[in-house]
Amino acid sequence: MTELQAEQASKVLDNSVTQAKPRPNRDALIALAVFVVLALLPMLTSSKFLLDFVIRCAAYGLFATSLNLLVGYTGLTSFGHGMFFGLGAYGFGLMMQKTGVAVPVAFVATLAITFVVALVIGAICVRLKEIYFAFVTLAFQMLIHSTILSWVSLTGGDQGLRGGIPRPPFLGIDLSNHLHLYIVSCALLVIGLFLMHQIAQSPFGYTLRMIRDNATRASFIGIDVWRAKLTIFVLAALFASTGGIIMALFVSGAYPEFAYWTISGEGIFINMLGGVTTFLGPMVGTALFLILNDTVTRVTEYHGIVLGIVILFFAIGLRKGLMDFVIEWYAQRRERSGERAS
Amino acid sequence: MTRTRKPGISRRSTLALMGAGAVTFAAPWVARAQAKTIKVGMPTILSGRVAQLGTSSRNGVMLEVEKVNAAGGLAGRQIEMVIRDSKGQPQEAARVARELVNTDGCELLIDAEASSGAFAVHEVARDLGVLCIHTNSETSALTADPKQHIPNAFRTARQGVHDSIVGGSYAAAISKAKGLKKWATCAPDYAYGRDTTGEFTLYLKRFAPDVEIISESWPKLFQPDYTEVVTKILQAKPQALYSCLWGGDLTSYIDQANIYALFTQMEVFAVNMADYTALTVVKNLPKGIHSGNRYIKTYPATAENAAWGDAYKAKYNEYPTNWSWENATAIMLLAEASKKANSADGKKLAEALRGLKIKSPFGADGTVTMRAEDQTLIGYAIGWGTTIPQEPYVPEVKPGDWKTILELEAEWKKSKGYT
Repeated sequence: MTELQAEQASKVLDNSVTQAKPRPNRDALIALAVFVVLALLPMLTSSKFLLDFVIRCAAYGLFATSLNLLVGYTGLTSFGHGMFFGLGAYGFGLMMQKTGVAVPVAFVATLAITFVVALVIGAICVRLKEIYFAFVTLAFQMLIHSTILSWVSLTGGDQGLRGGIPRPPFLGIDLSNHLHLYIVSCALLVIGLFLMHQIAQSPFGYTLRMIRDNATRASFIGIDVWRAKLTIFVLAALFASTGGIIMALFVSGAYPEFAYWTISGEGIFINMLGGVTTFLGPMVGTALFLILNDTVTRVTEYHGIVLGIVILFFAIGLRKGLMDFVIEWYAQRRERSGERAS
Repeated sequence: MTRTRKPGISRRSTLALMGAGAVTFAAPWVARAQAKTIKVGMPTILSGRVAQLGTSSRNGVMLEVEKVNAAGGLAGRQIEMVIRDSKGQPQEAARVARELVNTDGCELLIDAEASSGAFAVHEVARDLGVLCIHTNSETSALTADPKQHIPNAFRTARQGVHDSIVGGSYAAAISKAKGLKKWATCAPDYAYGRDTTGEFTLYLKRFAPDVEIISESWPKLFQPDYTEVVTKILQAKPQALYSCLWGGDLTSYIDQANIYALFTQMEVFAVNMADYTALTVVKNLPKGIHSGNRYIKTYPATAENAAWGDAYKAKYNEYPTNWSWENATAIMLLAEASKKANSADGKKLAEALRGLKIKSPFGADGTVTMRAEDQTLIGYAIGWGTTIPQEPYVPEVKPGDWKTILELEAEWKKSKGYT
């Protein structure tokens, strides 16, 4: 290796180290900019479809990105993440219907409930590895789903929470106004993504990647693997729950389907579409999934076939998610332009 | 210099993708271009296990829409149906319903969703204020509960409590005549099964107080194997069995119970038997099963009803279902309401619909009425009879008495705290 090459190599190394550092200020600015753009969107277009789309993106996006914290960053393939989505929807809906507290109170209380439930379930699950972890999370999900179905007096059983979710205005925000709901959903999405990004870029986030790559080594270094896994399990649950709350507000109700395994399956599908190696992969996957879903169901009732083919294309054809593909393509381009320059 | 194609997305295909995206979002403006026709949105279930609900609802609607359009449409505007699949997911039902109104420019909604999906669409109707007719949800609370009530939502489906009252009084009469005291029940384990069984036994005991329920079975919805349920019932040795299993569940139950000769050992009351979806699928339909009517073309035994059933069969090569007549009724009511209001405007139609009485092949006395007070359908044909293994399957139906039904319904509403 010549001196020049060595210097270049160290530069690259430097570069990657600076990239790895958490940069909360820059992230916050980007988040703010994204929020402003989203918030201005209703002024540019009168399309209610677009607003609905973004609200659903917020609900599914928070859910899928939080799932990626488990799948992509920690290597915990949870098949039961949907239970927290359902828990958020039901917790919030019930709180608003039965107690009539203010929206922020119900929001915080729902997260508190999710915290406790996730702590208990996580404490049992994260000891297990791979397929065992996947199946036990699935089992807990089915337990919660069955509870919702059979506890008819509280949850309304398979008919769901009926009669709409009341939303008394608070701090000048009226969530029964669709525009207000849109802005609040965007805010929750941006804040949620910002927080999750901070978690992913923090030393703790890197600990998670280490656990994913080699849990034995991590524990030799002195990391409490169980505690780290449990922490991320609970944190991810909180964001999934927030997604559920947005969905409950959007449909003005909560239904057992929100806690069914198909929601978890959709989360995994979204992650496959978008890719799990980048932070924004699941968000891209969400948009892609919803566009696919909406356009395909418009055209044909055999949407299962179409979605299945798309899954096969991604799993066997691309062998990665869309964002992975884009990042690789971008890196190749840079490489090429670098070659040309030198 | 030669350029070789590198793997990856080209600039051109990126542009094409963006273009496709733009078309998706521009769809609403294209959709609003034709204002002369009136678009009617219909979210329903067209895929999965209960896809027949959606397809037969669609058939029922289209049969009537063609007639209405041929006669000039709704106040001069041709009806254009926009029918979409919700996959039986409530969040999709809500999404599709919103999209139909907001993007596709539908001015009316026919909500052909089942159970939870209907409540999700109901919330959309509450939010958007669009006229919405529920055609498939039989859950009584949808219209009986004043908390659910909104001025722009109606129902043209039968109602659970009506069925229970008629079934209970019919079963009690047979009970008394034949001395059936020991009863067993067998129903799918979800809200419909639990509620319907509860209400049926309530009215059975009311009309025949010495009846006793000695065994209850709650198989899961869509359970494939009923052996344990059948043997449990046989061991309990009841004199009569009530079941509200439906569709594929009911037919597999009957096929499996036939092996044990269950039907020769007790009187069976299966409320959902007399529907072509079940009647035509069972391998050996036992003689003498008591059933409520869902849809059969021989009851009401009128020329209009038989003609309607035959026209449907001729067009779709299968017999109508219970869902078919419920959805067809929605269009018939809309057509009459638009004549009365001389308008296709949602608000005016809603005004005209309240208390509207129309001629109908499905009416107990040749008419059905949209009751003004809770905006739900009454006066439709409802009765019980016994089966024979070949057409007409249920030769004689004993009609329920609407005077009694309405009295007991009012009482039931009071007991639930709805009035």
